[in-house]
Amino acid sequence: MAEFALPKHSKIVKGIDYPIKSEAENTKKINVYRWSPDDDQNPRIDSYTIDLDQCGPMVLDALIKIKQEIDSSLTFRRSCREGICGSCSMNIDGTNTLACLKSIDDVKGDINIYPLPHMEVIKDLVPDLSKAYEQLTSIKPWLQSKSDPEKGKSRKQSPNEREKIDGLWECVLCFSCSTSCPSYWWNGDKYLGPAVLLQAYRWIADSRDENTEKRLEDLEDSFKLYRCHTIMNCTKTCPKGLNPAKAIGEIKKLQLERK
Amino acid sequence: MSEYEIVDHEHDVVVVGAGGAGLRATLGMVSGGLKTACITKVFPTRSHTVAAQGGIGAALNNMGENDSWQFHMYDTVKGSDWLGDQDAIEYMCKEAIPSVTELENFGVPFSRTEDGEVYQRPFGGHTLDYGKKMARRACAAADRTGHAILHTLYQQCLKYQAEFFVEYIALDLLMDDNGKCVGVLALCMDDGKIHRFRGHQTVLATGGYGRVYFSCTSAHTCTGDGNAMVLRAGLPLQDMEFVQFHPTGVYGAGVLITEGSRGEGGYLTNSEGERFMERYAPTAKDLASRDVVSRSMTIEINEGRGVGPNKDHIFMHLEHIDPATLQMRLPGISETAKIFCGVDVTKEPIPVLPTVHYNMGGIPTNYNGEVVTRKGNDQDAVVSGLMAIGEAACVSVHGANRLGTNSLLDIVVFGRAAAQRALKTVEKGSAHAPLPKIVTDKILARLDKVRYSNGDVSVGEVRNLMQNAMQKHAAVFRSNTSMKEGVQKVDTISKGMDNIGIKDRSMIFNTDLVEALELENLMQQAIVTMKSADQRKESRGAHSHEDYPERDDKNWMKHTIMWLNEKNKTKLDYRDVHLNTLTNEVASIPPAARVY
Amino acid sequence: MQSKSHGVVHWKLQRISAIAMIPLVIWFVSSLTFSLINSYDQSIAWLQNPLNATGLVLLFGTLYFHAASGLQVVIEDYVHNEGLKIMSLILIKSLSILLGVLSILCVLKIYL
Repeated sequence: MAEFALPKHSKIVKGIDYPIKSEAENTKKINVYRWSPDDDQNPRIDSYTIDLDQCGPMVLDALIKIKQEIDSSLTFRRSCREGICGSCSMNIDGTNTLACLKSIDDVKGDINIYPLPHMEVIKDLVPDLSKAYEQLTSIKPWLQSKSDPEKGKSRKQSPNEREKIDGLWECVLCFSCSTSCPSYWWNGDKYLGPAVLLQAYRWIADSRDENTEKRLEDLEDSFKLYRCHTIMNCTKTCPKGLNPAKAIGEIKKLQLERK
Repeated sequence: MSEYEIVDHEHDVVVVGAGGAGLRATLGMVSGGLKTACITKVFPTRSHTVAAQGGIGAALNNMGENDSWQFHMYDTVKGSDWLGDQDAIEYMCKEAIPSVTELENFGVPFSRTEDGEVYQRPFGGHTLDYGKKMARRACAAADRTGHAILHTLYQQCLKYQAEFFVEYIALDLLMDDNGKCVGVLALCMDDGKIHRFRGHQTVLATGGYGRVYFSCTSAHTCTGDGNAMVLRAGLPLQDMEFVQFHPTGVYGAGVLITEGSRGEGGYLTNSEGERFMERYAPTAKDLASRDVVSRSMTIEINEGRGVGPNKDHIFMHLEHIDPATLQMRLPGISETAKIFCGVDVTKEPIPVLPTVHYNMGGIPTNYNGEVVTRKGNDQDAVVSGLMAIGEAACVSVHGANRLGTNSLLDIVVFGRAAAQRALKTVEKGSAHAPLPKIVTDKILARLDKVRYSNGDVSVGEVRNLMQNAMQKHAAVFRSNTSMKEGVQKVDTISKGMDNIGIKDRSMIFNTDLVEALELENLMQQAIVTMKSADQRKESRGAHSHEDYPERDDKNWMKHTIMWLNEKNKTKLDYRDVHLNTLTNEVASIPPAARVY
Repeated sequence: MQSKSHGVVHWKLQRISAIAMIPLVIWFVSSLTFSLINSYDQSIAWLQNPLNATGLVLLFGTLYFHAASGLQVVIEDYVHNEGLKIMSLILIKSLSILLGVLSILCVLKIYL
């Protein structure tokens, strides 16, 4: 059966409380999930209180401040800090999002930060995404065409054709959507999940790709595609405002037209 | 020294870095049949190429303007303030056309013209007819061109089943007794094991080092690890004094607003509401090259015409542009402005400030991507087994100032060139000579020193000091006094590295350790940047010297090259600028005054 | 049993059966409400009308088919033990066929 309760070693315990040292008026408490693979300890929640007047506006700024000034062992991924690289996806205030795009002021009360749900944790806020990357590879996410373009020439694509892939190619592969999907939680080993299906549809919708039929055939599987039960968490959570649920719907529509 | 489990790998080629340059090289090598390892400290699509916005320059001539690569070459040489090597620039501008067409064929989702061709927009410093009017040359995918290119290159690498080593941090180059590079040593963050990669060519595609500054558009991961590895391998870095300030970083946050927004009709104003660029660059106006615009903005602010309560920034206006056009051409920056400064671009101007953006300097190479150094009188001596491409390299196609769109072009053209060169020079599957143990041990000793450091200063503190010193003393405008002070400050701060302490002792995903290693890399580059700047007594491109406001071609039309030894002492020399062209399809462009 | 690699047929039939049930259920409920069936005899009479019998046979068929396919999805979602899953699926299918046939036979028995 699907596991509804956490295994014994995963029970989260209360961790260390780091109170603020200076006298600051505008403070915020940030509770962060911590787990290290090196000891046998259960995961814990450490609490850091920070001075918001000495901190940038985003949750990522707060995490960097904590790492820089309070606890350098705090571990998370980050890179561009402007919402385009997709590194800092995590669960903030109960929602999967990019820490660099999530404003601290948007969270009422304490900020609770966890790694992306239902993924194996490497350390603290760093999830193991290797399975998701493999699934991405499995859909052959590259241009496939039977005809070669005229040598030294671009393929032509009208603005209307090009518009069909808007809202698809912009995905930053943060996997906020896939890890917010209950269906992906239960069947992430077989269900491709919204992020990868969005990429699949990106190529189906691209007028330059000539392997649509094979792509649809490969997706026509009660697990890879049809575990999507239109729950819509994916679209609700996407930090880039994309609509993976719609893309999946389009794939299902095309499957109907095939049969 | 602690015992490390060492995993050995043998490849024909090892590429370090999986940004646009690293991926383009990997792709070319793998598809050509070379056994290639691509090592990267972040998953490929998280590399900073992803943040490039405006476009990639190529004279495709899709907008019916009779554009040609010769015009592109002229603009690039002029943009470089005649410090660029003209043979390399010719190569880049000519190869731009097939390289970008190839990108389209790979599947990059470029925006399109009504005719179905790749859409091109105007960009700073790109002109027709040798400066007569602005050219539309920047091939764009909305305002997320870097994202489009990076993801497509990664997809192509997947197609050819390239071998990636993701979240591995490169520690140092493996150099043999003859000064030949035979591979690289890396730390796998996932499990803390040491991996020794052997390759007949090692290609450094490690990007820039924007993070030596406090405020920059660069990602947190832009720490120039390859540059520092080269310094530690006893090789010089070139033209490190040339650091580009992008005119339009968001005030405060430092995130980038593309020059393409001015290409689509945006303009800058001061506190008097004046479009001041018309005074500084009558022809190109807001689309003058970046050093010119950044300097003009800084002058406006210094003369009291900045906007905001502290009069310390400038406004960029897009609100006069049709919202539908903004939605189609600039969706990304509309979103960025909303998130990072709460500005609705259809209604209000964006507060902007010149922000550190790009390093023209780096590892000196020739146009084949091979690393070169000066050995006695031979100023183009190839370092065997080592290549460098992208922002890490200094080919030099950007000289003293890079034109917008030429960075994406640089990575693609020279990534491709490096692959072509490796295919010619590397014998597939040939054996690797044994490597003395001491080479690895020395690198691990350095790792141990950082790993077990237990001083009382945190990495964050030292990094802050360094970044603030660089921000202050290697800024848009520089002076003798300020730079002298900067050299001293950086020297003092670098000594603080001996007192750092890290808290995380584990080996699995130890970002505390990684950040300390990155800081060491940054520090070495900060020293070289500050010293290179201090010694150049002229103003050229991004190096604006208040005590020497003019360009001095007689004494200074030369590349700075600088070595750094283990005691952080520098050695200075120069290389001549290649004024010759590669072929006789174009004549050398003689130095002239730079007017936009 | 639905094979793993052909999702579209299952997906389509599930939706068709759902859509088909909308008029059937409306018809059935409104018949019960408005046709003033108060006694056993009236019910028998109602069922002996060929239109009503046909409707009810269709409703039972669709209902059990839809229930089975819906439960199949739920089991596939949550039951990860392969053996247990197959057994549950067989059980669901058999039970729904059994109940479906039984219900239809009951209608036919009264009608005939």
